[in-house]
Amino acid sequence: MFNHSLSLVVFKKEILESIRDKRVILGVIISPLLVTPLLIGTILFFAGKKEMEKRQAVVDIGIVEQQPFPELSDWLDENETIDTSHFATREEASQAIQDRTIRAAVVISQGAQEQYRDNGSAALEILFNASNENSLNALGRTRDLLRQFDKFALKKRIQAVSLPESFASPTDIETTNLATSKSTGSLVLGMILPYFIVISAAFGGIQTAFDLCAGEKERGTMETLVVSPASRDEIVRGKLLTILLISLIASFCAITGILAPLAFGLELFKDIVGDQISFDFLSVFWMLLLVIPLALFTSSLLLVISSFARNQKEAQTYILPFISIVILPAILSSVIGAESSLYTAFVPVLNISVTMKQIFGNLFEPLYFAISLSTSLLYAFFAMRLATALFQREQILFRT
Amino acid sequence: MIAAENLTKTFRDRKRGLVRAVSDVSFRCQPGEIFGLLGANGAGKTTTLRMLATLLEPTLGSATIAGYDVKLQPQEVRRSIGFLSGSTSLYGRLTAKEMIRYFGQLNGITGSKLQKRTDVLIEQLEIGEFQDGRCDKLSTGQKQRVSIARSIVHSPPVMVFDEPTSGLDVMTSQTIMSFIEQCRNEGLTVVFSTHIMSEVERLCDQVAIVHHGKIAAEGTVPELQSQTRESAMEKVFLKIVNELEAEDV
Repeated sequence: MFNHSLSLVVFKKEILESIRDKRVILGVIISPLLVTPLLIGTILFFAGKKEMEKRQAVVDIGIVEQQPFPELSDWLDENETIDTSHFATREEASQAIQDRTIRAAVVISQGAQEQYRDNGSAALEILFNASNENSLNALGRTRDLLRQFDKFALKKRIQAVSLPESFASPTDIETTNLATSKSTGSLVLGMILPYFIVISAAFGGIQTAFDLCAGEKERGTMETLVVSPASRDEIVRGKLLTILLISLIASFCAITGILAPLAFGLELFKDIVGDQISFDFLSVFWMLLLVIPLALFTSSLLLVISSFARNQKEAQTYILPFISIVILPAILSSVIGAESSLYTAFVPVLNISVTMKQIFGNLFEPLYFAISLSTSLLYAFFAMRLATALFQREQILFRT
Repeated sequence: MIAAENLTKTFRDRKRGLVRAVSDVSFRCQPGEIFGLLGANGAGKTTTLRMLATLLEPTLGSATIAGYDVKLQPQEVRRSIGFLSGSTSLYGRLTAKEMIRYFGQLNGITGSKLQKRTDVLIEQLEIGEFQDGRCDKLSTGQKQRVSIARSIVHSPPVMVFDEPTSGLDVMTSQTIMSFIEQCRNEGLTVVFSTHIMSEVERLCDQVAIVHHGKIAAEGTVPELQSQTRESAMEKVFLKIVNELEAEDV
């Protein structure tokens, strides 16, 4: 007969010990709540700053006129977003790019002006260095300017032959995005958040799991515990509940650690990203609920490893198969779409990740959700039974 | 009372094949009596006591503790015993008081009864000074006192001691020995394993010499001395074991 009160006694004691374990506090709470936001904040700050600088910087562009083409060269000279320098030869301009005195150069070929004036296409060449980030930026800026010149020149040509402006645009295309900016942002978050949640739920409980069984064997407290009236089932349930709770706390802290800096960061750089990325807190709530069967499954697997290992060091060596079971589906989930085939609902970890994506992308499918949830609970149950069975085996429980 | 009948434990070892760790061990121990299992390392003492404490299931044979069958009523058996060994440790991140309370709760003691029992043990075993100190910060002697409190928090009628003084200094060993004597004086049934002859001479009412998983000889200390015509327990032990080895050859 089940005696839940003894499981609860074990659970309360394990939680008390866990919160007194500095390694757990550091790994599960402090690191995701302080280190992750700091890291994301720093990345956002420097990325935003860099983008601003890139947009505002005046770029050094060279002009090589193998034959004078004042219509273009004067137009470029007058542009305030670039600083132009004139070179006699292509080689001189190339050398200047290598020396980083200019970042790109426009080479105007022989006969370009005649081609332009005869309503033809003036042959131009852009020199740049693909291994240099600033040179690539200058290439983009030069292309933009030359496109603007093309439009300006085209307009003049159309006016000269008294044609309407629509002559150069046979179609007038308008695109309408039916998604709200919120759901677009949710899609972006839906790609990355499930991955982080799965990883944090799976790995957040490692320290606790290894401490609770392998650690007890190592320290000699396992014998003290199993000689008490608590049955092995009750002990396993108490320990499993502890790992589950720690894993859930780890997930919650990881989500907070990611979303909080994003919320502040997006506010700071609103003029760059606009309101394209935002999040719906109701979706986050559903994700936290979904993480429960997933965490139950991973916690049971961790308990299996910890029960089997002689000590914590040995448990660490068994972690590779666990990482494969969790990481591979988690990575897959960031690649495959939310509208996946139904068979993926049977793949542990992946099914929960995809369901999370569906919730974020407003693509919720009740059947997929039901299968994901029930199979995850089923896998968790089997893993739990395996952990209990291992705990019953004398050779495993008392091997040192 | 403890009654062991033909207790046998075999296990499979990759290198040695089927190993008979304990073979047909039978003995009885009455309340107010200390029964000692004397043997070298690997003789089968710990395996025998682990079967009595329901940590291991006997392959053959049976045993009852305070009237409960170790195979059929393991939970009742565990409620009836206090188990203390040299290898049973404390939870480092719990305080001495929390440790006692935890095992009280595991034994079904709650509320004011638990509070009262904890206070009594803290006073009896002089734990008060360090009751709020974490177990990993306690000295070996202090830890041993907490271990004793942990093992008797539920007032068990039977005490099982598995080499309880192993690795302890003389002073701490004396505390344990005095505690074992106190258990006998209070009418508890005590079974105790050791390889230290002086402990047997001082404590045991009945002794069983265990060798290669079997009981080689059994009796009181004077009976064994008379049987072997040796006065020192060390010589008694060696003579019995050597005779057995010679028979085996």
